Amino acid sequence: MTDDFVPAHPDQPGLDPAVDAGEHGDAILSLRDVSKVYQSGDSEVRAVSGATMAVEQEEFVSLLGPSGSGKTTLISMIGGLLSPTSGQILVGGTDVGALSSRELTRFRAERVGFVFQSANLVPFLTARENLLYVSTLQKRVSRKEAQKRADQLLSELGLADRAKNLPEQLSGGERQRVAIGRALMNDPDLILVDEPTAALDTQLGRQVVELLAREVKQRGKTGIMVTHDLRMVQYTDRVFEILDGHLTHVEQPSALQH
Amino acid sequence: MNLALTEMKRSKLKFGLLIGAVALLVFLVLFLTTLSTALVTSITGALNGLDGQVLVYSDAARDNLQASRLPPTVVAEVEKVPGVAAAGGVTLGTVSAELLDGSGDLQLVGSTAGEPGAPTGLVAGELPARKDEIAMDGSGYALGDEVTLSEVDRALTVVGLLKGSQFNASPTGYVVPAVYDEVVRAANPGVPFVPLNAVAVAVSPGADPAVVAQQITDDVPKVKGYVKGDAVSLIPGVESITQTFGILVGLTFVIGIVVIGFFFLILTVQKMRTFTLLRAIGASTGKLSAAVAVQIAVVVIAAGILAVLLTYGAVQGLSTGIPVTLSPVLVTGTVGAVLLFSLLAGLLSIRRISGIDPATAAGAR
Ligand SMILES: Nc1ncnc2c1ncn2[C@@H]1O[C@H](COP(=O)(O)OP(=O)(O)OP(=O)(O)O)[C@@H](O)[C@H]1O
Ligand SMILES: [Mg+2]
Repeated sequence: MTDDFVPAHPDQPGLDPAVDAGEHGDAILSLRDVSKVYQSGDSEVRAVSGATMAVEQEEFVSLLGPSGSGKTTLISMIGGLLSPTSGQILVGGTDVGALSSRELTRFRAERVGFVFQSANLVPFLTARENLLYVSTLQKRVSRKEAQKRADQLLSELGLADRAKNLPEQLSGGERQRVAIGRALMNDPDLILVDEPTAALDTQLGRQVVELLAREVKQRGKTGIMVTHDLRMVQYTDRVFEILDGHLTHVEQPSALQH
Repeated sequence: MNLALTEMKRSKLKFGLLIGAVALLVFLVLFLTTLSTALVTSITGALNGLDGQVLVYSDAARDNLQASRLPPTVVAEVEKVPGVAAAGGVTLGTVSAELLDGSGDLQLVGSTAGEPGAPTGLVAGELPARKDEIAMDGSGYALGDEVTLSEVDRALTVVGLLKGSQFNASPTGYVVPAVYDEVVRAANPGVPFVPLNAVAVAVSPGADPAVVAQQITDDVPKVKGYVKGDAVSLIPGVESITQTFGILVGLTFVIGIVVIGFFFLILTVQKMRTFTLLRAIGASTGKLSAAVAVQIAVVVIAAGILAVLLTYGAVQGLSTGIPVTLSPVLVTGTVGAVLLFSLLAGLLSIRRISGIDPATAAGAR
């Protein structure tokens, strides 16, 4: 189990969240005994069972696991896209499971940057516009600020000369980088990245992950990257593994073979 | 960064074609309505434009002005009916005349200016007061032109121009009763009197025209009183024209709305992945629905402008012989109605958007 990182009570439900938060220090993200059961017809799929974890600011962790093990389900719950069947998810003190669907929409707009497994960009918007649209989802950013931020992100991601291109005019790696820029655009607390390298060759994959790691560190974010590519975990601080819905913190990712 | 407008800018062809299609449908609605209004006005204008609220025909006329024959003495009898403030005789018939464009039929109306039964559609000059004067509607007359009535071989000077005052969709001339009588007597020498076709009645202030009309029917023998609007809609043909065009316009309108509704539904379904992504990154259902509504509004307004230009062009190029004008009330009313119903049809799309589960963007299957 993951007791070396989360020192106490991984399987004790119903604890006071304040107490819990205290025990995790400055953990931006903490999960306690989170489960997700999908109901499809008569059958139930237990995609995640009793997941407990904590991730701190400026930490970039990876989430490893074979296909169908529950990786996407887990980060979808963390990102406010899915509600857990049981357990508690705290993001910067917010109990995500307790939010209404309207509040969840705002939570996603303001607190989370998500890079999805597929279909990340709006096809009829240019790279720059894909970033700018994010700022229209929040009231607090002025147009000027947004443009400055978008341009800065694009140039950090090496896309300055690609800003005016539509997604269909970009390579897979460029698209992936635009998606990362999009995820960073709203200055989120949490960056959740689902298989950023799946569609890329090793060389490009490394570049993208290095870049992610750099952004997380430089901007003081908390990042979770889902992958099943063991070579990518070297860029992350810690590794979690999920097998059949059971989450564990592992010391030696290189020992894992899928 | 406006999502709706940026998309339209990027897909000019797609939205251009839609605007074109909607414009044609709005054009059809405008054109058909304009045409039917013009047609109905050309048939009803004269009667509708007669001064007075109540018309009196002979009871044997079967609601038809042209079949109505009344002795001139009936005017005095009608005037005695309670609720009648004033009454005036109206004569009407088809005569031959030398018109600007050669000889032809002229609808000749005899009535007295200032009395009930005088026309109200004067747009220039004045109503005839003397036996050598005439006021014209139709055939492109100008003040000072001459009209020769063939039966009496007399030239009358055009002293007034009227609009929307045609009878039977033909050129119509308004003269003093004496001129009309003269024409009839020339064609039928020895008639004991020239019958009136109708008596127009101005009701006393505060009196209900319907009550007065009924009172006249009851009090005066052998006549029937009508509220003017009823008499107008009883003109043969008016109802069928109104109905036929009503069906055409209604169908075109409905087709237009359905086209818009389905087109945007298709666009929405095509964009489901994008909408799901946007929901997942924190766009609200309301914001995405607003984007659809903005696009519908832009399409309808652009199509409306195009349709008005088309209709205007068509009306200018039309040579129907009846005056056709494009009414601003009709234009704004039609475009407004299309916009309203299109937005309602857009609810089809909005229902799809509100059904999106943002979690599917993450692809947890
Ligand atoms: N909406 C759903 N309804 C029912 N079962 C689901 C649903 N979404 C996912 N699952 C099931 O839950 C389990 C975990 O799915 P999940 O997508 O989280 O896996 P994953 O680790 O992301 O896999 P991959 O590496 O292939 O992306 C799988 O068995 C999957 O079939
Ligand atoms: Mg997945």
